[in-house]
Amino acid sequence: MHMAECNEFISPVKINSGNKALEHIPCELDALDARKPLVIAERGAAAKYRIDVLIEAFKDSGITIGIFDEVPPLPSLLLIKELFGIYRDRGFDAIIAMGGGSAADTAKVLNIAVSGRPEDIDRCVGEDLIEKHLKPLIIVPGLSGTGYEMSRYAFFDSRSYASPFLVPHLAVIDPRTAIPEDVLTTSASTLLGLTHAVEAYISYGKNLLARAYAYAAIQLTIENLVKVIANPEDSKGCVALANAQALAGCTFSNVKAGIAHGLGNAVAKEMGLPPGVCMGVLLPYILEKRMSECSHDLGELFLPLAGFDTYAETANELRPKRAVDIIHDLIGDLARATGGSVPQSLKDAQVPRQVLPEIARRADYVGLDMEGAVSVLEGAWRGR
Amino acid sequence: MKGFREVAPGKKSLKKDYVAIMMWFMGRAIQAAAAADKAVRNEFAGLPDGFTFALSVMPRGPHMIVGKDKMGSIRYWGWEPEGKRINLMMKIKNIEAAILLFTFQEGTATAAARDRLIVDGEVAHACAIVRILDIVEVYLLPKILARLAVKRYPDWSLRRRYLGRAVVYLRTVFGF
Repeated sequence: MHMAECNEFISPVKINSGNKALEHIPCELDALDARKPLVIAERGAAAKYRIDVLIEAFKDSGITIGIFDEVPPLPSLLLIKELFGIYRDRGFDAIIAMGGGSAADTAKVLNIAVSGRPEDIDRCVGEDLIEKHLKPLIIVPGLSGTGYEMSRYAFFDSRSYASPFLVPHLAVIDPRTAIPEDVLTTSASTLLGLTHAVEAYISYGKNLLARAYAYAAIQLTIENLVKVIANPEDSKGCVALANAQALAGCTFSNVKAGIAHGLGNAVAKEMGLPPGVCMGVLLPYILEKRMSECSHDLGELFLPLAGFDTYAETANELRPKRAVDIIHDLIGDLARATGGSVPQSLKDAQVPRQVLPEIARRADYVGLDMEGAVSVLEGAWRGR
Repeated sequence: MKGFREVAPGKKSLKKDYVAIMMWFMGRAIQAAAAADKAVRNEFAGLPDGFTFALSVMPRGPHMIVGKDKMGSIRYWGWEPEGKRINLMMKIKNIEAAILLFTFQEGTATAAARDRLIVDGEVAHACAIVRILDIVEVYLLPKILARLAVKRYPDWSLRRRYLGRAVVYLRTVFGF
């Protein structure tokens, strides 16, 4: 295995995963020197169900919890201001984000405010501007987040925050809360994680530990995504997918965003589609484009994608192409399992062909020239 | 603020009572097994004089305290840890983890591997206590349950399995 001369890896998050993992939270809060958490959740029936499960898990702990379960899909800074007041006036000392998406982003941004001053929300916009450890933050991810919950990023009200201090202290993955709400959001968040993991695996940096996390994330996704979409009652599969998303988030905090991330985000922004779906559709075409320069890495990528037996049976020179084929097949299987909600091509996603050059021009990525980006988008538009 | 509330989650009294009863019985059974079984006596002999351990459920019980008295005999000291010098504290993190343990859905080794226990004391002593608990569980439980509780069901002689079990049960129930 080729290893970079210099490596840096940070993943401060503790992950509790499995049966009755939620019941560990009071003990973990005690270890974090916290006694009164504020729980933040999105609006909706699924969030209310998760809150009920959490309240049940806190029974007999002696801990009083605050609950705010009205976070809208696109929250504003006014919400942060109101929550800051509640946090301070009621004496809370930790935050628990139930589910992902806007709840997790609200929790991270609120944590910036309560760990310092409210003005820090403006001062810390951007990369690595948070200077100290924040108050305890626990994430209880579902399967229908954005995929960034476990990462060092937060996106709030058109602002981006990036800092290792934004990574939650603890992630709790419990079968009772790792439930898919709808096939599209579950697919989108998992495909986003898969994209990050694959791009980390073949990244220029060759970060050994990021690769280890990415390997597990890729394997868990390939083995479980289509199964869970076909059968949402498969709780073991759901927990596996939640773990895959968590590991992919840890990986993404340690590598630069790849081409699929940049182009996928640009398509998503242009067309109002879930970014994870766009990244997943584009991913195999980008890998095909990069076949000549990273065929060795693609050959190694074949192992988590195909498993040991198939890897051993496949000749070395065939592995890169077969790796890409597996991802194509995954998108195809997903499209069939979701009844077309996950498109197989950009054409199926109703992306007009004439906007592709403009998307390529606006996208934020490195490692591919404009002509290459347009050809990738054209290939993804046509499909297989 | 709309959408905000404070909640004091209640208690799990039935589960706590069940675990308390199981711990009471287990404590007396350890005392009984220490008198009746050579392997348990040998394990305790390897522990220091006056050694006392507690098995507790966080945050506030129930508890089981067992230890050596001045004569070196093993005694069940009850369920109140206040005022006692405890050398080894094995804390189960929450009542649900205790239920998994005491309904034999998870054995002690599995519970430890799943991070459901905190050990405050010497790890070697904790390992000895886990071996003692395993032997006591084999005495107390029918094979079908004991196999779930212990890592490996032992191959005992008929005398030990049946006569030993009867003696341990008698001593546990009557407390001698």
